[in-house]
Amino acid sequence: MANWRRRSDDDFSEEVHAHLEHETARLIEDGMAPDAARAAARKAFGNVARAQERFHESTRWVWFEQFAQDLRYAARGMAKSPSFVATAVLTLGVALGLLMVAFTVFNAYVLRPFAVHDPSRLYRLGWHSPDAASRIFTWNQYDELQARTDLFEAVVAHDMRFINSESAGGRSLSASYVSANYFPALRPRLLMGRGLGPGDAGQPVAVLSQQAWTRLLDADPGALGRTIDLSGSPVTIVGVLRAEFVGVDDFPRDIWLPADRTTNPEGLEVLMRLRSDVTPERVEAILTPYVAQKAPPNIAPKDIRAMLVPNATANPLSTELLAALSPIFAAFALVLVTACFNLSNVMLARAVARQREIAVRLSLGASRSRIVRQLLTEGLLIAALGGIAAVTLTTFLMPVGTALFFRTLPPSMAALLRVVPMPVDYRVLGFAFAGVAAATVAFALAPALQASRPSLTDALHGQRTGTGSASRMRSVLVVAQVAVSMLLVVTALVLARNFATIGATDLGYRTAGVYSVNVRGGHNELIPAAAAALSTDARVAEVAVTSGNPLFVTHTLAAAPADADQAPVPVRYSFVSPEYFTVLQIPVLQGRAFQAAETSTAARVALVSEATARAFWPGANPIGQTVRIERPLTSRMDEIEGYSRVTVVGTVRDVVTGLMVEGADRGHIYFPATATHRHAAALLLRPQATGDFRPDMTFATLRRAGLDTTIFEVFPMAEMREAQMYPLRAGAFVGGLLGAVALALSVTGLYGVLSYMLTQRTREIGIRIALGATAHAVINLVVRQCLRLAGVGALAGLVLAAAAMKGLSSVITLEAVSLLDVTPFIAAMAVVFSAVALAAYQPARRATRVDPAETLRAEA
Amino acid sequence: MSTREDNDRLVLMQGTLDVLILRTLIFGPEHGQGIARAIQQSSDDELLVEHGALYPALQRLEAQKLISAKWGTSANNRRARYYTLTKAGREHLAKQSNRWRRLAAAMARVLGPETEQG
Repeated sequence: MANWRRRSDDDFSEEVHAHLEHETARLIEDGMAPDAARAAARKAFGNVARAQERFHESTRWVWFEQFAQDLRYAARGMAKSPSFVATAVLTLGVALGLLMVAFTVFNAYVLRPFAVHDPSRLYRLGWHSPDAASRIFTWNQYDELQARTDLFEAVVAHDMRFINSESAGGRSLSASYVSANYFPALRPRLLMGRGLGPGDAGQPVAVLSQQAWTRLLDADPGALGRTIDLSGSPVTIVGVLRAEFVGVDDFPRDIWLPADRTTNPEGLEVLMRLRSDVTPERVEAILTPYVAQKAPPNIAPKDIRAMLVPNATANPLSTELLAALSPIFAAFALVLVTACFNLSNVMLARAVARQREIAVRLSLGASRSRIVRQLLTEGLLIAALGGIAAVTLTTFLMPVGTALFFRTLPPSMAALLRVVPMPVDYRVLGFAFAGVAAATVAFALAPALQASRPSLTDALHGQRTGTGSASRMRSVLVVAQVAVSMLLVVTALVLARNFATIGATDLGYRTAGVYSVNVRGGHNELIPAAAAALSTDARVAEVAVTSGNPLFVTHTLAAAPADADQAPVPVRYSFVSPEYFTVLQIPVLQGRAFQAAETSTAARVALVSEATARAFWPGANPIGQTVRIERPLTSRMDEIEGYSRVTVVGTVRDVVTGLMVEGADRGHIYFPATATHRHAAALLLRPQATGDFRPDMTFATLRRAGLDTTIFEVFPMAEMREAQMYPLRAGAFVGGLLGAVALALSVTGLYGVLSYMLTQRTREIGIRIALGATAHAVINLVVRQCLRLAGVGALAGLVLAAAAMKGLSSVITLEAVSLLDVTPFIAAMAVVFSAVALAAYQPARRATRVDPAETLRAEA
Repeated sequence: MSTREDNDRLVLMQGTLDVLILRTLIFGPEHGQGIARAIQQSSDDELLVEHGALYPALQRLEAQKLISAKWGTSANNRRARYYTLTKAGREHLAKQSNRWRRLAAAMARVLGPETEQG
């Protein structure tokens, strides 16, 4: 009720006292003796203590008092059954902990603002047109944007690049060249030293991240003034940042360096803090004509829009992002749901066992809501302990999970990748708190309601009533658990199956022992010199030039046979040197490979894949045929200018290029190129079979040729392939983990229900055995019960899983990924039923050992 | 004393007692004992068995701001907590008495003339 009066108990007592006095006086007036009058007044009033109690209970403090009482009571009750508490807390802790791990990662990448001054008004500028987008701006543009003090409080520029460093054991450091106002405007907190400022431009000075400081300098407290190697030249450390700041995008930096027009001739990313009197929409409208007029010449200015993306966190929160992540969160949440079902089941069993106690309390005048509140308090206490366990588990799992992530990544990728700090901050704790509250309602409310409505007289007589609906509820809970487990197990097996089949894909070319040399930042002009240097290296057997690594080909064009009236179809294309086919061992099937003369003149000839040949000239000889090329589909119009007609000189075997999850190429056209060709973007090299080649040896060779090794990277192709498979592998692993936890929970739930059913039916089983039922028949009884529960659950789970996979398959349209394959469904059924059998085994054996004599005696 | 019986009476008295209290206060401020006496007299002891049962209702009405309370001195110079009908209380009473009258009339029609049941 609203407006609880702040009236004290004493005040009320005084009123009661006045009442009695008035009444007594009145009775004396009516002629009663004073003593008799006093007694009569009291009698007329009724129970004074009770009236005072009721007044007391109506004040708001009672709620706290009763809550404290409930808590004490719950704690006492729980202390009596420590194994129950331990199991419950562990169950909830693991399930909530897993969900919290997922949330902690989400928090770090999406919710957690950067550790900078006033991150809320930070935006990054970009522009987009229907078929192009960019976030890179020139120095002149940066100056002009900085002059717009009517819009921005500050405009900061930075970039992202990898720089090889001897101090990092020859590996790469992720670096940012930053504008002079980066540190003054963002004000990240430093562990020691100073940030970079206007005076540092052109100086060999740097600021390190806390992680890099630990890794490179062993967390040396005297790190200031020390120098580290950056691609052959020393830089002096002037500051070390705190662990919470790793940059202002989603890729953490190791080192910050002062930018100037010579270090970043091609431009920078631009970040601005908006003035409080402008809106991002207004700034976008104002800047649109500005970016349009500065846009690349091949894009129509009218199509260009300026775009401000919130940059307070590593990734802005959006509905698209949430939609994309929701299946992952759903999987984690389902484990928590199973845990709640499981706990609910145990609580229900406990409540039924305590029905007599509850009945006594009800009959002594406790209201039902009071009993429900008390049972909920027990649930809350367990949930709170579970929450603490979950937070502990999360703080433990985060570093373990991160370490596992890096250990399982291919080494060359692990050396490059960084993760943002993922602390268990107040948002994660708030999430845990919400999880605890939700879990309490989910697992404690139904049992509490169920248990608090027994028929008093029956329960007092020692008969367990209401067990019918309670055990029905328990069965429903088990069915639900099995269903959810089935869903998760199917998901895990679908992922595992896809990982296995896609991982086993025959690409049609060799990746083992082939190294990919890439140039960073589009410095394709360095390819010829690099190719020349590497060709002369004695350890290298062969060097191929290509427009792109075959594992990441995305360029597609529309082509058709020239002499037929056929609609053009999308075909992938690559510019390659003749060595491409020998390095990768792609056999030429018909015709011939490219000749040296063709590559040097960039002749309009082509090799086509078998599939292309079959599609374009079915049954005919493709050699000498002409391909008509309509337009590029994925790149700029001028990309293949001059290649409108090419003559086929040979066919090569079909291969899988691009992302393996997208399946085999429908078609592929290869054009001849050399290192000096404008399309040459990467090198593939095959070392001598005998030598012990290491990727970093190429850096020495490149440096000897006078090349800036900071912009080259060398990856083993086998690891690139592995890296491509990594998301599926991680998905299968996490899915398997979730499925296993959910299944383990359902098995214990099922086991509990079966054991409970058996204790209830001991007498019946005893009589059955006395009447000559065989062990077989008794086992049958248990198995039937078990199969009924598991069968319904499994069926429901299969239907759910099929629906979920069907839904996902309409979103995930990757060629090689099959979500509705029958095998994982059958395998999941086998897994779930084996687990169910495991749950049933022990109770069934126990049932056969029921001693009929004993049970019959017990009845008497 | 059994819980169940007590509950039965409470169910009967909810609302009824409230209206009776408000009705009593229409003649001016009164303290708890005075109200109890008045109700007992006007209802032939049917509706208020114990004076103590009056107080939860008084509290409730006060919380709903249908009555207000103030400590004062009675005619015989004793301290007492006086309850006064508020404007909201007066309106509530008008509405409720009307409702009760209709309910009573309807019940009377349904049940017919009073008969002794075996």
